[in-house]
Amino acid sequence: MAENRKQKILIADDSEMNRSILADMLGDDYDIIEVENGREAVVVLQKQAAQIDLVLLDIVMPEMDGFGVLKAMNDFRWIETTPVIMISAESAPARVRQAYELGITDFISRPFDAVVVHHRVVNTLFMYAKQKKLANMVTDQVLEKEKQSAMMIDILSHIVEFRNEESGWHVQHIRVITELILKQINRMTDKYKFSKSDIAVISTAAAIHDVGKIAIPGEILNKPGRLTDEEFAIMKTHAQVGASMLKALPVYQNEPLVRRAYEICRWHHERYDGRGYPDGLKGDEIPIAAQVVALADVYDALTSDRVYKKAFSHEKAVRMILNGECGQFNPLLMDCLREASDSIRIAAVSNEIRDWNDPNVLRNLTEELMQREEMSASDRTLQLLEHERMKYQFFADMSQEIQFEYTVSPPSVMISEWGARHLGLDEIIRDPHHDEKVLAIMGAEGMQKLAGLLRCSTPKKPIVNFDCVIRLGGVERWMKIIARATWSKDEPPVYTGAIGKATDIHETRVKMAELEELAAHDTMTGLYNHRFAKLRIQDMMARKPESHFALGIFDVDYFKQANDTYGHMFGDQVLIHVAKTLKRNMREGTVSARVGGDEFLLFFEYREHVDLAINRIFNSLIGNYESFPISVSMGVAKTQMLGMDYDTLFHAADQALYAAKRGGRRQFRFYDGDSSNTLSLITPIESDAAKPEGAAAGDPEEQPADK
Amino acid sequence: MTLQECYAALEGDYESVMGRLRTERLVQKFVLKFLDDGSYALLVDSMGSGNYDEAFRAAHTIKGVGQNLSFNKLFESSHLLTEALREKNIEAAAPLYEQVKADYAQTVDAIRAYQASL
Repeated sequence: MAENRKQKILIADDSEMNRSILADMLGDDYDIIEVENGREAVVVLQKQAAQIDLVLLDIVMPEMDGFGVLKAMNDFRWIETTPVIMISAESAPARVRQAYELGITDFISRPFDAVVVHHRVVNTLFMYAKQKKLANMVTDQVLEKEKQSAMMIDILSHIVEFRNEESGWHVQHIRVITELILKQINRMTDKYKFSKSDIAVISTAAAIHDVGKIAIPGEILNKPGRLTDEEFAIMKTHAQVGASMLKALPVYQNEPLVRRAYEICRWHHERYDGRGYPDGLKGDEIPIAAQVVALADVYDALTSDRVYKKAFSHEKAVRMILNGECGQFNPLLMDCLREASDSIRIAAVSNEIRDWNDPNVLRNLTEELMQREEMSASDRTLQLLEHERMKYQFFADMSQEIQFEYTVSPPSVMISEWGARHLGLDEIIRDPHHDEKVLAIMGAEGMQKLAGLLRCSTPKKPIVNFDCVIRLGGVERWMKIIARATWSKDEPPVYTGAIGKATDIHETRVKMAELEELAAHDTMTGLYNHRFAKLRIQDMMARKPESHFALGIFDVDYFKQANDTYGHMFGDQVLIHVAKTLKRNMREGTVSARVGGDEFLLFFEYREHVDLAINRIFNSLIGNYESFPISVSMGVAKTQMLGMDYDTLFHAADQALYAAKRGGRRQFRFYDGDSSNTLSLITPIESDAAKPEGAAAGDPEEQPADK
Repeated sequence: MTLQECYAALEGDYESVMGRLRTERLVQKFVLKFLDDGSYALLVDSMGSGNYDEAFRAAHTIKGVGQNLSFNKLFESSHLLTEALREKNIEAAAPLYEQVKADYAQTVDAIRAYQASL
């Protein structure tokens, strides 16, 4: 990677003079990036740590000093791949020591000497380039070696199986089941604490547990019927033979793989009660690796077809083992078998072999390699990461979403470039829970809620949806946050942080509210429309089933007259006037609506004297609009009598209204259960004089059929 | 006026700077650039407004630049001022600040004279 491009050096110094002196001294051989404080240095590293070959770092700088930069480089582990040369007039030994402890490679003190600076830079770059190259070579070789040795073991164990005429999957199953049981042991007890590498070694060694069968004559090995005592005695020697073969290896005696394989070969037929072979070991005298493989072997034998038997089902096999029908096992392993039963059942039927060309296998291996501390990330990986980062940044910018990545330890948040700009925050925020700017935007409560939701997620359901209000430049806006908690692959998994994005949904949300509001109202009078009023009323009744409510319907007497005489515009004004009067005179909590035409509805809760309340509203509606005299006819239904069903109430009120009109208008009536004789409680009978002109008998409005 | 005479006028060490930066071209470039450096203005501002953290950093920068260019007189006084300000010893800093002002004036005067003779 270094051959084809100039090496990149980041100079962080607050003095422009000093930066340009350094840049001049280094000449044109390098790409130089200059920054004037520590914060900028961290931002540059954040974006392209993988491309920076060297950092020249001043100590005393505004915003964030050189030690701050070193701390960040340690937190994000950039220091492992990017060398730092500290430059400063500071020469207090304690400070120099502190800088070395934080991982710097070299220290240049002022005044700069061109030759010295040049040499130190060249040496450091050379050293690191060499180290990177070596690391890559080692990675490649380890990969090659692991691949070859695993392949050799696979081939070897298949030879055994081939002679054995067993199913080709036996070895794979033993390997997988051993792995599952070992992991289950880790979950259930702290006694063994198998590391990832222990598990890998034991399950690989498990593959050659029967290697000694190579020395058993074929006619005994594959005899279809029962073995005679003598034959069985020969068969039993395979454990001892396999162990001896391993013991006889001229090399590798101290390799963990060989040591474990020896234990497994020799003792995988021992039983916990001492009744196994060849040595009759008892209890924990049997190495745990051999105990686990013994269990895996028995399980696989039971669930496979053999020359002398058919395969049993998973359930039956587990039951037989737990009942002690195949010899006695460690009670801990019995618990593990019970607990891991489901995963074992699934693993046992899947005939997947480790395929070295499978990218997933390689990726897992690479991950494992990367986790080894002495190994730095290979250049290829870094390039891939860089490519991913570029892609991510591009999409993040395009989407106008605020994307973020949160890590629990050390607590920090990285925000996408666009997001940080939009929020006016830094791209990296350390300890966001105590960052004043973050708290000002999101509020402590919002932060805690989100953190709580993420913490309560599970590896299987890691996604969290959270709508919240943020404050940006003094304005509140609705945001939708979708985040995915990240959980480690440990057992039990550990919550390590989250990735997520926040989208501005303010416009959508406001629009929705506006539409809802719009849909709920009658455009002319501003009262609710019937549909929405019905919902509100049903809601009120559902909330207070013990209360009493009244529902009234009224229409404007002789309204048709107003329309016909003065035109529709005037008619509309009359309706608006009535709506206003109604609104002004009804008590708080009353639902009022325009049902349609000149028909209105009101609904309210009462304790007693509903008649007085109705009378008050009824009287308030009587008056004039310009020269047009206004009065109404009203029908009222009570929940006390009819119950809480809206349609029943509405129908009853409508019947009472009909009765009121038939009774001569300008009156209200309560529904009394008898539609033909609806009771009028208080009926201020309108005088003929109050009738507008032309409202004579025979007018279509007068006809009941018109209603 | 030669660059060497300029260094004599500002009481710097011409031999030392030439030894480190190697060419007269480079030394000349940075000496002239010194006239544009904002650290002194920042020092005066922050001393005036009592922002001693900022003044410390400005003095520190002047010191660093003076050291790099072997302006020994200015380096000495700015070094002492830096240390006084680091300890927030304002009383001690006051006379040192005056000294830095004088030395800075002397340095700038010498460079301007040199610049005029080019």
